[in-house]
Amino acid sequence: MCNKYAFSRISAILLLVLIISACKKATVLEPLSPVLHAIQLEVPVGFPVLVDNPDNPLTVEGIELGRKLFYDVRLSRSNKISCASCHHQNLAFTDGTALNHVGETGTTLSRHAPALFNLAWATNGLFWDGGSKNLESQAFGPLTSADEMHQNLSELETELKQESDYARQFKLVFNEEVRSANVVKALAQFQRTLISAGSRYDRYKRNESDGSLTELELSGMALVNSKCRSCHSTELFTDNSYHNNGIDARFSDEKEGIYEGRFRVSFDPADMGKFKTPSLRNLLLTAPYMHDGRFKTIDEVLDHYAFGIKNSPNTDPLLFQNLGSVGIPMTALERKAIVAFLNTLTDNDFTSNKKISNPFN
Amino acid sequence: MRKLLSIIGLSALLCSACSKEDDQIINLETEGKATITFDAAFGSQDFAINKDFTSGTKTLNFSKFRYWVSNVALVNSKGEEYKVPSSYFLLEETGALAIQDGAFTYPATKRESIELKNIPAGDYKSIKFSIGVDSKFNDNLSLQTGELSQLNGMTNISWMWMTSYIFTSVAGKVTESGLAKNLLVETGVNANYKSIALDLPAIVHISSAKDSKIMLKADVEKSLDGIDVVTNPIVGASKPTVMSAVAVNYSTKVFSVTSVN
Repeated sequence: MCNKYAFSRISAILLLVLIISACKKATVLEPLSPVLHAIQLEVPVGFPVLVDNPDNPLTVEGIELGRKLFYDVRLSRSNKISCASCHHQNLAFTDGTALNHVGETGTTLSRHAPALFNLAWATNGLFWDGGSKNLESQAFGPLTSADEMHQNLSELETELKQESDYARQFKLVFNEEVRSANVVKALAQFQRTLISAGSRYDRYKRNESDGSLTELELSGMALVNSKCRSCHSTELFTDNSYHNNGIDARFSDEKEGIYEGRFRVSFDPADMGKFKTPSLRNLLLTAPYMHDGRFKTIDEVLDHYAFGIKNSPNTDPLLFQNLGSVGIPMTALERKAIVAFLNTLTDNDFTSNKKISNPFN
Repeated sequence: MRKLLSIIGLSALLCSACSKEDDQIINLETEGKATITFDAAFGSQDFAINKDFTSGTKTLNFSKFRYWVSNVALVNSKGEEYKVPSSYFLLEETGALAIQDGAFTYPATKRESIELKNIPAGDYKSIKFSIGVDSKFNDNLSLQTGELSQLNGMTNISWMWMTSYIFTSVAGKVTESGLAKNLLVETGVNANYKSIALDLPAIVHISSAKDSKIMLKADVEKSLDGIDVVTNPIVGASKPTVMSAVAVNYSTKVFSVTSVN
């Protein structure tokens, strides 16, 4: 009897607890979805500080989704081209071609596919003219352009929704169904993780055991520091700014101003012919060079800076290094040393990093 | 057993305590609804697409008139502002549009009214709104609220290279002395985001008692005021000075309140 009484008391208490907890669940709004894992990028030694991005915070799951999308051909209209079609990891995410024509229309593009790394710091505009203000907005360009992926954004949403994995991942990361705005957010998250800071130069700077530079490379480093670092500045080896480096003296206004550089987006005459400074990191992987890939080799680039610069009203004053005249004089030996140093900026860990490689392979 | 019953009773009480009940309403008037109509006009005539209008020596025939109305606010007689949340509306009168170089078609649409709900009951004396999209949303196309979208052709390829919505877009044909030219007058970029405040001709009482109406006139002819559209038939980012003059027209001349109810 006593035992029975005790039992019913316990069950009554249990019932009470159950009822209370049941009605608690109905009033307290707690997220029931699996937890997202927020992460912060690790800033390599000597790199500039990173500005937080509260509008699209990084999560492990968001980055993973972005990586999948980056390599997925379904992002294009014909389902044949992915972002990686023009951005190959083994070439520091460029394509080795001056101007490619792999897009949906087969039209040769007007600009060279840029390398993709250290983009978390690229907060001063994207594209060669900086017209795009952030990685998220940038992605709509190649996604929709007829000569690139030419994707119908609503069709893209439908296509991705049909795959249960994507539907689940979008729900988890953005707590929404598949939307094109979230496609570009995920792509941006993945691209912000493409950090390249593992070259021999970096190991030298960090005093690591296998980080030695030869005499020639060291003298090349000193030369680069004195002649090139005004624009290729900081440990990013770019100022993420825009310069007219004298590759042309006249800038045609054809094709919606594509040849006019930053003027095309700012309409400030001082920006005529200015293009974004590319990083010197991974330079020997990212030939050909310039916004239109006109220089096939690093030698051609050095020729340009030594004696090929065209003088126009907008040619950057930083290039007048020849006793007040335009040009950056270099002896044959100096050029050899500069190329030797640039070689040390190649980051093989980056180009072989499995975490950023094609997940479909 | 009695204990058990009392525990169940207590738990029922607890449960009803934590379930949400509607607050008792003392004031009979609650928040109300207002319809704002942006009636498109060309001068004194009603606007329509595919119809000839005369302006001075020019004949204009339009295929579209589209613009973003954002950040709508109502100001009451005490000067307090009620900001309508997520208010980004695409107002338009357009034939079918090929979007993304024909990747898909946006259907012919006429939309001149926006409905604002849950406005606190009160007497309102003026309306505020902006033409275009403010920089927070204009600078990041992945942040979407209200009706902002990439799917309606108010960002296009050449504009996507430069992050911005198209704030206003008027297209069609202009003919002068027998010479016809295609017309496309658009504005965009942060500098051309403009805010407008208009006093209402009479106090509008908004409450649950009735649906209030505010009628505005949106005069397409005024948007082209001072612009020689024969010399400059294509206005957009590549014509920043003319584009800015058009944006100023939108903020100073295009909109007026015609009636309230």
